[in-house]
Amino acid sequence: MSSIQRKILTMSVIVLFIMATIWVVLTYYNQKTQEQYNDILQRYLHMNEVTEHSHQTIIALNNYLQKPSTVLRDAFNQSKEQIILAKLQSVSLRNQDNAYTLTSYINMIDSLVAAADLSVMFLEEKLPEQSAEKFEEAARIDKYIAETTITLIDKEVRTYDSFYRSIIEQSTELKRLGLLLFSLITIMLLLFTYWFSLSITRPIHKLTIAAKELSRGKFDKPIEVHSNDEISFLALTFDRMRVNINNLIFEIQQKAQLESELQESKLLLKESQLISLQSQINPHFLFNTLDTLSKKAYLDGSEDTSDLIANVAGLLRYNLRRLDRAVTLAEELSVTLKYIEIQSARFTDRLRFLQEIDENCLHIKLPCLTLQPIIENAVIHAVEPLEEGGIISLRIYAKEECVMIEIKDDGTGMSEEKVRHILTESGISDGTGHSTGIGFSNVVKRLRLFVGDEDVIDIESKPDQGTKITLKIPMARSAAKNV
Amino acid sequence: MRKYIIISLFAGCLIILFFTLTSMVKMFSSHLKEPSASVEMHSSYRLVLITLELDTPFWAKVEEGAKAAAEKYNVSLEVWGTYGTNRDDFLKNIEVAIASKVDGIIVQGLDTDEFKNLTKVKAASRGIPVITVANDVPMNESLRRTYVGSDHLVAGEIIARQLVSDMGFRGKVVLMVSDRQEYSQRSRLAGILNVLSPYEGIVTKIVAAGDSREEVAKATNQLLNDMPDADAFIAVSANHASSIIQEISKRMQVEKFFIYSFDDSPATLSLLQQGKIDALITQSPEAMGEESVSHMVKWLTGEQFPLNPDGYFTDIKVLRAGDTP
Repeated sequence: MSSIQRKILTMSVIVLFIMATIWVVLTYYNQKTQEQYNDILQRYLHMNEVTEHSHQTIIALNNYLQKPSTVLRDAFNQSKEQIILAKLQSVSLRNQDNAYTLTSYINMIDSLVAAADLSVMFLEEKLPEQSAEKFEEAARIDKYIAETTITLIDKEVRTYDSFYRSIIEQSTELKRLGLLLFSLITIMLLLFTYWFSLSITRPIHKLTIAAKELSRGKFDKPIEVHSNDEISFLALTFDRMRVNINNLIFEIQQKAQLESELQESKLLLKESQLISLQSQINPHFLFNTLDTLSKKAYLDGSEDTSDLIANVAGLLRYNLRRLDRAVTLAEELSVTLKYIEIQSARFTDRLRFLQEIDENCLHIKLPCLTLQPIIENAVIHAVEPLEEGGIISLRIYAKEECVMIEIKDDGTGMSEEKVRHILTESGISDGTGHSTGIGFSNVVKRLRLFVGDEDVIDIESKPDQGTKITLKIPMARSAAKNV
Repeated sequence: MRKYIIISLFAGCLIILFFTLTSMVKMFSSHLKEPSASVEMHSSYRLVLITLELDTPFWAKVEEGAKAAAEKYNVSLEVWGTYGTNRDDFLKNIEVAIASKVDGIIVQGLDTDEFKNLTKVKAASRGIPVITVANDVPMNESLRRTYVGSDHLVAGEIIARQLVSDMGFRGKVVLMVSDRQEYSQRSRLAGILNVLSPYEGIVTKIVAAGDSREEVAKATNQLLNDMPDADAFIAVSANHASSIIQEISKRMQVEKFFIYSFDDSPATLSLLQQGKIDALITQSPEAMGEESVSHMVKWLTGEQFPLNPDGYFTDIKVLRAGDTP
C-alpha cells in the first residue's frame, strides 16, 4: 500500500474511531437515563395501579352484594386476583425510607381482601347484616389505601428528590459535554487536516520549485525534501538525475576543451611543417654549396668567412629538423650562439652579447626553436634599428624546481598593449623577417602546449627602456616527458 | 497571518479541551445513586404511637422518648397524631393501624365506646397488642395489655395533700373537670377526694366544663358568681389552669386563691413562677414514651410475659411556687 494512501486511510480511521467512541458513550448515557426515567415512572404506575384495583374490587363487591350472581362473583374474584397481583408487584417498590409505610400498605391490601372475602362469606351464609358491616369496613380500608398511596407518592418524591435533581443535572451536563466535544473535534480536525495536507503538499511544492530551477538550467542546487512518502522517493530520484546531468555536462565541457586544444596544436604543427618544407628546397645542394664555400674560404685563408659560412650551414640544418621533437636546452643554446656569431659578423660592434649560464640547467627539454626566435626578435627590435647598436644578455638559472631563461635587451621596448597582445596569443603569427620564419607568438603557443601551463612566459617592457623576457620551464615536467 | 490563525486555533483547542475534560470528569465521576431498594422484608417490629394532641409539648416529649427507645431496640416506630383534639381522625388512625397489621399500637387512652370497641374487638381479634400511654382506659373495657404513665390516683392524692398543708383543714375547694370525663381525670378526682373527704371543714365542689377556652371561662365566671367565697381551685383537667387564672384575674386578686394544676406546660410553669399557681404536678413524658416502647418490645419478643395489667407508673413530682423547676 502506498504511503500517501495509508496516511489518508489512517486519518479517516482515527476520525471514524473518535466519532464512534463518542457516539457510543453518549448513546449509552442517554440510554441509562432513559432507563432510570422508565423505572421512576414504573414505580408511580405501580402505586396508582393498586389504588385503581382496590377501587375496582370494592365496586365489584358492591355489585355482587346487590345482585348475587355467578357472573358478578367471577368479576369480583377477577378484580381480587388483580389487586393481589398488584400487591406482589408493589413489594419491589420497597426502599429504606418507605419500608414501614409500604409494609402497612401491603397489609392493608390483605385486610381489604380479607374483609371482602368475609363479606361474601357472610352473604352466602345468609347473614346480610354482618356482610354489610364487613363491606363497610372494606370500603373504609379502600379509602385508607388511597390515602396511603398519596402518602407513598409523597414519600417517593421526597426520597428521590436528590436523585431526580441529579438526573436533571446530568442531562444538562451531557448536553454541554456534547456541544464541547463537537467544537473540540471540529477544531482538532481542522488543525489535523491542515497539518496533514501540508505534509503532502509541502514536498510537492518543493519539488515543483526544484523542477523550475532545473528547467532554467541551474543544475547545481541540491533538491532536499524531507518526507516519508512517495514524494521523497521522487525527490531523491530527481536529485540523482540532476547530479547525473551535471556530471555529463562537465564531461562534455572537458572533452570539448581537450578537443580544441588538440586541434590547435595540430594546426601549429602543420604551420611549422609547412614552413620547414618550404625551406627544404634542395637543402643538400645548399649545404654542399655552403660547405664548399666554407672550405674554399678556409683554403683562401679567410678563416673568418669559413666559420661564418659553417655557422650558417649549422643553423640551416637545425632549422630543417622536424619541429615536433623536443630538444635539450644545450642544443638550443648552441644554435642560438651560432646565430649570434652570424649576427656579430653583420653588426660588428653594434651588437654586444652577454651570457650567464648555469651548466646544470642545460639538460632540460623544450620545443625545438624556442630560444633562437626570441633572441632574433631582440636583435631585430633592439639592435637593427639603432645606429649605436644594443646589448643583449642571456641568463639561464634554476629557481624553485624551474629553469628560468631570461633574455634582456635595451632597445625601444613595447607598449603594455602589445605585451598583452603577445601574452594572450591574439597577435597574428608574424614570422616574416625571421631567419627561421617562426614568430614570437608561435613560440609562446608551442611552449605553453609543451609545458601544459599558461604561466611559462613573462614580459617586462616599457617604451624606450628595453625588454626583459623570462621563460619558465619546470624541471619535473620536462623530466617526466623524457621518460 | 496563517501562523496567527493556527496559533489561535490551537489555543482555542486547548481551552475547549480543558472544559471538555472537566465536564467529562464531572460526568463520569457522578454516579447516580438510586435510593437503595431493600428487597428483604423488614424483620424488625413495626410499632405505631397514636396520640390525640400532637401539638402539645407534653406529647412532643413522649414522642421524643419513644423514638429514642425505638432506635435503641431497633424497631420501626411511626408517630401518628391529630392536631387539636379531632377524635374522628384519631379513631381513624387506630383503624388504619389495625388494617395495616402493625405489630403493636401505643395509644393515648380515650375513654369512649368507639375507642374501646376498636381496641377490644378489632385489635384484640387480630392479635395486635395495645398499650395505653399517659391516659389510661380500664383494662377490662379495652383489653389493653398494660398502661404506661403517671398514676393519676396518686397524683390526685399528692395535690390534695399539698392543698391541705397550704390551706389548712377548712375551706371551699373547686374542682374543675373536663366534661369528657376521661379515666385519668376520674382517677385524679378519686385521689383528691380520697384525701379531702376525711376533713369535715373542707367543702368540695366539682365543676365540669368543656375543653375550649370560652367554655372554661364561662364556667369559671358562673362559679365565681355562685361561690364568690371559694378558697382553692384545682384544675383537674390539664389545660384548664391558665384559663381559670385569666378569668379570676379579671375580677380579683389571684394571689389570695390557692390554685393547683396537673399541667406542666411552659405557660403553666411561668404562672407558677409568678406565684399565681401554688403547686402543680409534673409528669415524665419522655419516660412514658421510652417505657411504653420498651414494654411493647419486651412483650413482643416474649421477654416479659405477662405485662402488669395495672400498668407501669412513671415518676410524678409536685412543684410548688418558689421551687425552681
